[in-house]
This record gives sequence, C-alpha cells and structure tokens, in this order.
Amino acid sequence: MSWRWPVAIVLLCCGAGLELVAVAGLCAMRDVYDRLHYVGLAGFGALLVAVAIVVRESFSLIGDKALLVGVILVAAGPVLVQSTTRSLLIREHGDWRKRLDDAEETPRA
Amino acid sequence: MNAWEIAAAALGFALIACALVAVLAGPAHGLAAVEVGSVLLTTILMLLSQGFHRQPFIDLAVVFAVMGTIGSLTFARMMERQL
Repeated sequence: MSWRWPVAIVLLCCGAGLELVAVAGLCAMRDVYDRLHYVGLAGFGALLVAVAIVVRESFSLIGDKALLVGVILVAAGPVLVQSTTRSLLIREHGDWRKRLDDAEETPRA
Repeated sequence: MNAWEIAAAALGFALIACALVAVLAGPAHGLAAVEVGSVLLTTILMLLSQGFHRQPFIDLAVVFAVMGTIGSLTFARMMERQL
C-alpha cells in the first residue's frame, strides 16, 4: 500500500473538517462581521482538499487544476471579506471611513 | 461510496445550513452565507470529480471558483446602496 493514500485521507479529513467548522461558525455567530471571518477559513479547507487530491493523483490533469482552485479560493478569501465589509459599512453609515474617524476622535481611556 | 464521495456528502449537508442562513437571516448575513457556500460548492465539485474518477469534470470547479468570487464581489458592490 502506497504512502499516498493515508496521507491523502488525513488531508481530506482536515480540509473537510475545516469547512465544517467554518459552517458551524457561520451558523453560531450572530453579528454579520463575525460571520465574515469564516469565509477565509473555508478557503483554507478547500486548499487542504486540493492538496489531498494532488497527493493522491500527483501533478496530473486533476491535480494541477485542483491546486489552482485551492489557490484561487485562498487568494479570494481576504478580498471578499474586505470588499464585503466595506460595502456593509457604506450601507450602514454612508461612508466606510466614518467609524474609523469616530474612533480617532474618541479620547482613549 | 469512497472517501471522496463521503466527504462530498458531508459538505452537501453543510451546504443546507448555509442555505438556511441565507434564507432566514437578513441580506447582509445572507451574503456571508453565500460566500461560504460558494467555497463549499467548489470543494464538493472537486471531490465529486475525484470520487467518480471523471477528471475532466474538475473544470466545473475551476469555473465555479472564479464565477463564485466574481458573483460575491458583485453582490457586495450592489449591497452598498441598491439591495
């Protein structure tokens, strides 16, 4: 039995587990900004699943593209979170800088 | 069922939870749920491609990863004022 199969299973379990944790966090949190944290975590779970496929199939047709998908999702995670947070701040306050300005004007204790 | 298909099924059930949050919570919460759900669905497509030994189907996951990201960015942009 090759070493590839057990390593791929461990990576698969870790990746799927991370995504399940991300969904559990999404359901458990009550604030939308708390919920947005789990977008990035789910991306890393997808990357682990992609690495599991690469370990199992080596750098083949499916291995290369799975790795590409994982890298896309990990790179897109922070972009999505930042742009969504910016949009939600504009939706709530009219300008995304407003809360930052308020925080600067407030004297620190 | 092999391990890839079992993982895809487990993530499929998790996708239902994301759909429930998107339907039952407000629009902003729904956008966060859609973003997590698109990552989940991309992973499910990868897992099914590997589990069914249909390697060309991984292209669906590649396309959905890009389109899901663009769609989420579009919704986030529209959410600023119009939705």
